[in-house]
Parts: sequence; structure tokens; C-alpha cells
Amino acid sequence: MDFGSTTVTGMHVSAVAALRDYYGLPRQPVKVHEPGQMLGLVEDDLRAAMGIDVTGVFPRKNKFGFPTAGWKEWNFRGLEVLVPAGFRTTTTPEGDLLLYPQGDLSAPASGRMPLGSAFFDAIVRQPEIHEDRLDPADNLEEFGPLAAEDLDHIERSVAAAHASGYGVAAGFGGTSFGDIALVPGTSLKYPRGIRDVEEWYISTRTRRSYIHSVFERQCEIGIQNLARIHARLQAGPQDLSGAIDCLYLCGADFGTQTSAFCSVATFRELWLPYYKRINAWVHANTSWKCFKHSCGSVERFLESFIEAGFDVLNPVQCSATGMDPAALKRKYGGRLVFWGGAVDTQKTLPFGTPGEVREEVLRRAEIFAPGGGFVFNAIHNLQAGTPVANIVAMLDAIQEFNGVSHV
Amino acid sequence: MSDLETLRQAVIDGDWKTAANATRNAIAAAVTPMAVINCLMPAMDEVGRRFDCEEYFVPEMLLSARAMKASMEIIRPLLAAAGAAPSARVVIGTVKGDLHDIGKNLVAAMLEGGGFEVIDLGADVAPERFVETAAARNAQLVALSALLTVTMTSMKTTIDAFRAAGIRDKVKIMVGGAPVTEQYAQSIGADGYGESAGAAVTLARKLVMQ
Repeated sequence: MDFGSTTVTGMHVSAVAALRDYYGLPRQPVKVHEPGQMLGLVEDDLRAAMGIDVTGVFPRKNKFGFPTAGWKEWNFRGLEVLVPAGFRTTTTPEGDLLLYPQGDLSAPASGRMPLGSAFFDAIVRQPEIHEDRLDPADNLEEFGPLAAEDLDHIERSVAAAHASGYGVAAGFGGTSFGDIALVPGTSLKYPRGIRDVEEWYISTRTRRSYIHSVFERQCEIGIQNLARIHARLQAGPQDLSGAIDCLYLCGADFGTQTSAFCSVATFRELWLPYYKRINAWVHANTSWKCFKHSCGSVERFLESFIEAGFDVLNPVQCSATGMDPAALKRKYGGRLVFWGGAVDTQKTLPFGTPGEVREEVLRRAEIFAPGGGFVFNAIHNLQAGTPVANIVAMLDAIQEFNGVSHV
Repeated sequence: MSDLETLRQAVIDGDWKTAANATRNAIAAAVTPMAVINCLMPAMDEVGRRFDCEEYFVPEMLLSARAMKASMEIIRPLLAAAGAAPSARVVIGTVKGDLHDIGKNLVAAMLEGGGFEVIDLGADVAPERFVETAAARNAQLVALSALLTVTMTSMKTTIDAFRAAGIRDKVKIMVGGAPVTEQYAQSIGADGYGESAGAAVTLARKLVMQ
């Protein structure tokens, strides 16, 4: 079971705080380790209480471009939490919170949390586009060689994760191709290139050579960084290169609730070559399994994901069109690990009854668990406002299931 | 190929420059603005059909919407000058607390292409702004969008605001977005739920006929 090992399998800070209270763990402000989605860090005591089997390794800097370190107290609309030192906000007259790239209050804000929301969404800062002056390098500013501090951080984090005895999922950043959450360049003070979300989607149709150039170079940089990380992990006093079980490579979404963001043909032309290249490097040089996150209705892409070399699918959005759990297990169960799919976080978990949660979890486990290839996780991060009774019902149900079988 | 045939094809192909040129040429050749509208509507219906049967995806829809808007911008002032009335007026927006607007933009474009006058309030729209705009502009329809479970509840707050203002029976309210279901729509007192951009147009047409 996983909750919290990646930025797509975690829990909102309010859910982490509520669970700590529920389990009677020491009262302490929870660390917000991913400020966009306001994910709370799952510490070892909560991991043990919940029965989680996986821990995470995260990049040194978060998507807003400041190190996830140097914790300070912050009152998050009534909840005392800890945020990184670079987490600097201002409040608009309407009560919206603004978050700044690299913690620089003099730069234009890159994140906004409206009053009534619980997450920072990207502020699109799109410079005027001059077709004849578009340069792929402008969309590559956030992708570059890892700094010495990044490698130090990764080595320390992998060592700590390995020592914990849990399974290890690692995400190093930089290998997500066209992830729409990252396109706006929230880590950059003055992003250039194509940064508007709609303009990016349109560009996948009208500016294919530009997108190819971005992906091509991003892929080269990504592989170089993975090679440096791998070499660094091998070079220490203890060879840690085998300590990572699973590598969270890409979070680009290809599915919507009922359809897809592009055709399979477009996927194969625009994404498949780069996924193949990076996954091939990982499989040829490491023991790591390759983890692909994509929300929505993605059954049509799964043969291509497998051909690309992905081993793991997340979040397995069973509520989306064509994502019937039994059909997925039957058709792909021998070739893909399903990391997720355990319970719906759009409907059942936030709005259902504990009894409904239990039923859904038991049915999903009965389908996904036989023969292995299932890591129990909800369909995406647990959202703010999820009743703790429902989260507990989910955890009780999997324990009930494990009483008669094994995940 | 006539200007209107060129326009129709340009909208389907998502070519906004050709769509704008064809519209200008059509107007210069004394084609009436209503004839242009009557060309755009079936073109956008065709785009919606291709989206529904997965020949088109989000990028193609966005391009077609851009082409349709390029044409509408040219003829809108002419329609106003001629005193032509749209089939109905709809106020659309993403509800308070929610900044996601791609789904809402696609629905707005499909409604506009479907002959509705669309007043797009954008994202993170307060309930009172929906109420004030619908009342001031005499809208028959209000369309609410949300992507997040935490902001979906703003749909109920918005519908309640129409009740509190005493104008709930003056408008039909339709809702949509990733976490929204038919059941939720009924539970908050909405008049209808659309699962996709195409379904939203069909629903809107049904609601204004009631």
C-alpha cells in the first residue's frame, strides 16, 4: 500500500493532519512538501499506523522552484502547518493567496489559491508569441543538469529511504513530457516560450516540430541526469543504486473523464519515441521500474505505454470511460502493475458513506489483487475535505481484505 | 467554393485565418450576418460530432473554437446593428474557488457555435456575480463548471444565491465538470447536467425550449 511516496499518490495536508489526530500520534504541524497540491509529508509514525509499505524520494526543489527545506510555521486557513522557507505568499484584496517562483516576491506570482480552494493553481504568464521567433530553448529553461546540491540531496534521501526498510518510489523531476501542470513554468520568474495551457494543447497540433524539439532535448537532459544520479548512488560507501524500486517518470495526463487529450496516433508520433528512449535507458542500466501517471480514460493508450517500456500505471481511474477494473486486469494485468484504482476520490471517498467506501475498496481489491501487480492506492491524491471516517473505512477495508488474502 | 463553404470548412479544420478572411469576403459580397451564423452552427455541430466520436480531441476543438470566434468577432457588431436576436442568452463561468477553465471554454465555444449569445464570466466567479449578470442581461440560461471536489460545492451556493435573489425561476441552470454527476446536479436543484461539450449544447437547447 502507498500513500505519500509520490506527488500523485499522496494526501492533502489537512487529511494527513486529521489522520495523525485519529491515530493519536504526537501533535505536530504537518510539513507541506508539495505546495501546489498542498500535500502533507507522511512521516514514519503515520506510515506505520496506516500500514503503508512505500516511502518516497523527492527532488530538492518543488514545482515553484524553491528547496523543500528550512521549515517554518504557517497558518493555512486555521490549520497550523510547516512550509519550506522559500514559501512566500501575499494575499489579494479578495482573499486569494499568491505564491511566488523561487520565493521571490519581486517576481510575478506563479501560483494562486482562490478563497474557497485548497490548492495553488498555476498562474499563466504567457509572453506574446511571435511565430517567427519561437525558440524551443525557451520551453527548456526549467530543464537542465542537476546541481551538486541536487545530487547530494538525492543521495541522502535515497539512503534514508533505503534505511527505513520500506519500498522506495523516487521522483527526480525533469522527465515529465508536456505535463500540463508544469507547462506554465511555475518555478520560473519570467517564463518564455509557450506557457499558456490552451496554446500548448493547440501547439501539439499546429507546432509539432517545436514540441518535438523540446521533448528531444528534454529527453537527452533527463537521461544524462538519471545517469549521473545512478552513478552517484553506485559510488558511495554503500551501493544504493538498487535501493530504488520504482521511478516516477512522467505525470502528463492523456485522459479526460470520458475521452482523451489526443489520439493514439498523435501519442505515438509525439510522445512514444521519447518515452521509449528514457525507459530503455532505465531498463538497460538500472533495476528500477518505470511509473507512468495519467488520469482519465487511457485504456486506448495502454498497449503504447507498455511498448514504451512503462511497468506501472497510476492512478487507474476506474470511473473514467473504458476503465472497467476487471477488463483492465484481464487484458493488462500480466504486463502492468496497477498502482491505484482502489477507491474513487471524486465521488465515493469525499462524498460517500463509510459503508460505500468499504464496498468499493473490497470489490477493487478482489479484482486487482489476485496474482499480484497491485499497489493499493486511491485514485490520485486524497483531496481536502475528505472525511477522516471515510479514509479510515478505506484502510479498515484493505485490512479486512488482507485477512483472507494477500495484496 | 463559395465564401460560406470556405468558412464552414475552415471552422471544421480549425483554421482561424481562413475563417476570418472568408467571413470578411462573405460580408463584402453582401451575405447577411444571419447567413454566416447559419453557416457556423452546422460547422460547430460537425466539430461536436467529431469530438463525440473521437475523431477530434481537445486541441482540434480549441482550434475550431478559435476559428469560429474569429468569424463571430467580425459579424457580432453587424448582428447588433441589425437588431438580430440570438436564440437565447447564457451566462457561463467556473464557480468560486476554481480556476480551471478549459472545459468551460469548450462548452462556451460550442454554445456560441450553437447560436447562443454567451456571456463568459471566466473562472473563480462569485455566486452574486452570476446572479447580477443573469438578472442585468436577462439571461435564460446559466452554465456552471467545476473541476475540483472542493469547489463543486460552490455550484450549490450559486444556485442558492439565485433562490435568495428571488430569480431562480427566471433562469435554467445547467452544471458540468469532472466530479459532477447527474445525481449531484439533481441534489443541488440544477435543471440539467451535461457530460461533455456536445451534450451541453443539446441540453441547453432542450432547456430553453421548456
